Amino acid sequence: MKSLGVLLAKDLRRAQRNPLAYLIHLGMPLVITALLGLVFGAGGGGSEGGLGTIKFAIVDEDDSPVTGFLRGAVNQGRAAERLRPVFLDRSNALARLTANQLSAAIIIPAGFTRRYLTAAGPVTLELVKNPAQSIHPAVMEELVGALVTGLNAVARNFADELATWNAVFERPGGTDFRAVADQIVKTGEKVEALAAFLNPPRITYEKETRATPAAGRGPGFNLFAFLLPGLAAMFLLFLAEVAVRDVYREIRTGTFQRFCTLPHKVGVFVGGKAVVVLVILLVGSVILLGGGGLVFRIAWRAPLAMGLVAIGYALFAAGFMMLLAAFAQNERRADAVGNVTAMALGLVGGCAFPAEALPAFMREHLTPLMPPNWFVEAIRGLQFRDEAAWVEAAVSLAGLGFVLAGVAAWLLGRKLRQGVRA
Amino acid sequence: MPLLEVNRLARAFGSVRAVDGVSFRVEPGEIYGLLGPNGAGKTTTLSMICGLLKPDAGDITVDGVNFWTDPPRAQGIMGVVPQEIALYEELSGRENLEFWGRLAGLDRSTAKARAGELLAALSLADRAEDAVKKYSGGMKRRINLGAALMHRPRLLLLDEPTVGIDPQARANILEFIRGLCVGGTGILYTTHYLEEAEQLCQRIGIIDHGRLLAEGTLAQLQERLGGDRLFVAEGQLAGARPDSWPGFRERFRTLQQTERQLTVAALGSRDPADCLRDLLALPVHIENVTVKRPSLNDVFLQLTGRDLRE
Repeated sequence: MKSLGVLLAKDLRRAQRNPLAYLIHLGMPLVITALLGLVFGAGGGGSEGGLGTIKFAIVDEDDSPVTGFLRGAVNQGRAAERLRPVFLDRSNALARLTANQLSAAIIIPAGFTRRYLTAAGPVTLELVKNPAQSIHPAVMEELVGALVTGLNAVARNFADELATWNAVFERPGGTDFRAVADQIVKTGEKVEALAAFLNPPRITYEKETRATPAAGRGPGFNLFAFLLPGLAAMFLLFLAEVAVRDVYREIRTGTFQRFCTLPHKVGVFVGGKAVVVLVILLVGSVILLGGGGLVFRIAWRAPLAMGLVAIGYALFAAGFMMLLAAFAQNERRADAVGNVTAMALGLVGGCAFPAEALPAFMREHLTPLMPPNWFVEAIRGLQFRDEAAWVEAAVSLAGLGFVLAGVAAWLLGRKLRQGVRA
Repeated sequence: MPLLEVNRLARAFGSVRAVDGVSFRVEPGEIYGLLGPNGAGKTTTLSMICGLLKPDAGDITVDGVNFWTDPPRAQGIMGVVPQEIALYEELSGRENLEFWGRLAGLDRSTAKARAGELLAALSLADRAEDAVKKYSGGMKRRINLGAALMHRPRLLLLDEPTVGIDPQARANILEFIRGLCVGGTGILYTTHYLEEAEQLCQRIGIIDHGRLLAEGTLAQLQERLGGDRLFVAEGQLAGARPDSWPGFRERFRTLQQTERQLTVAALGSRDPADCLRDLLALPVHIENVTVKRPSLNDVFLQLTGRDLRE
């Protein structure tokens, strides 16, 4: 055990002094996750990582009581949860749009209220969308469309009342608030008369949000949380490959041969390497899933269970890559075989793409057999579906890892004992 | 009792007999040189002695006990300095020494103290904390040597420890090794540098094609050539057949012949002046005859017909 500790300390110190290969394999999945997340719209901000808050400008060139009412409406109720309007003049709004600080600008032209209330010809609201964004401007277009439909319906049904409202607003000497009160009463009576035609509605819909036992305590769907486990699974394999390849590096530099001249069995060397690979993978898992969670504001719903699955996967990755290295005849072959196999396992295992996007045969017959898929599905299940299948995944991964590591240690030990020269 | 005794050691790789019946012994406080060209079988011999390779035949006895009876015991007695720089370049000189010391069985504090001692002895104390990758070739060689000395081995196996370093660094290492020998350490030193073997080793074994061709002190090996001097005749020697010259074979033994030069050893204890007269009287045009002390290269030449430097 003392020798194992000495070997572990030595290799961790070496990794710390020469961390480039490890850092690349830890940085890549985080970068790819960020890029994919942004491409597919997870960059909208907000802790929920979904649609996020839409930031847009309202340019009120009319500045009337009606437009003031509209401005106030977007800051009320559910709208305030999703919409963050800023009130600017046209040039400032367009400048901030160009700088990608806003998703859209709604411009209310001067004379809008009078022309709308008096039905003096068509009135037009202007919507300027940010071409650098895709989802938020489209949502704004839908919202403006709904607003215009509503305003049209009001204009068609309340033409007389609207004209009176205009007279109230434009009375010389300022708004007559007594007249405003009268108008509110009259409009209310008309709405009441219409109620018989409107209620009960002839058609309606029911809305249901499927509740889970954990509903309410966790976050909603987070695209980063969906992407990160898959990429982490694949790059942990790459990380294992880099760490395992050190066996061949030690043979090349003669340090393994030197070790063999000391009163130790080869198994101590192989065991030491296995422990080092495992420790590196565990640290890598913490950085990728823990650090990634912080970077992408992912609230992992079951960190303890996820940690156990990660330990199982680290065991599998270490054992699997050691086995590949044991079969490879030299450092270069170990490098090539390890990288290609890691990539293939990752792709078939649904690490890089969702398994649903894979060809049917692969998805149905191969993907479920891939240990990276066990890991990814266990993490996604914990995060999005509250599944208990993680236990089976963790145990399977750990068991397979132990078996593979055992076989690899035996093969490596046998190989290293044969024909090593000073 | 010898520290190391090797008896009829043999090892083949396929059809190539890398080591073929090699026998020698190393006494405490002795530096035994194994001299031979590249590929002669030196490293294979050393690899079998330290347990990296199993011999096909023969015995290795370390401190009176057969190596394969108790390998850890034998390995605990010996220190091995491999030909390549077998160190971790990312670690400092001190960290390397401490690591190899710990693996050799020292506890943390003993390893630390011993590393400091060796760093000072190897004149590396001021660079002890630098990463080995920043060291010069000579400095790396010294740490490579030091790593094998951490546990104070009684038997030291050195496989060409001065390859690729400048003369000053080589001289420093040789001086250090001499000091170890004075302390009672038995040393097996493989080299293909004649000068090193001549200057450093008390006894020398000449090895080629896996066979130990001759063994002894420098004087004993020189004696094989018929004394302490050789004659080098220069002249028109193209096509000459010295053995056909009358009386030549009875008086001289040819070591080497080229178109311009003939190197011979005198047979018996003849007066050098008589030898010179005989050579100048040969039936070819001789321009010049010089007398020199026989070197190990001449011994190798006589044994193999080849120059060790070729």
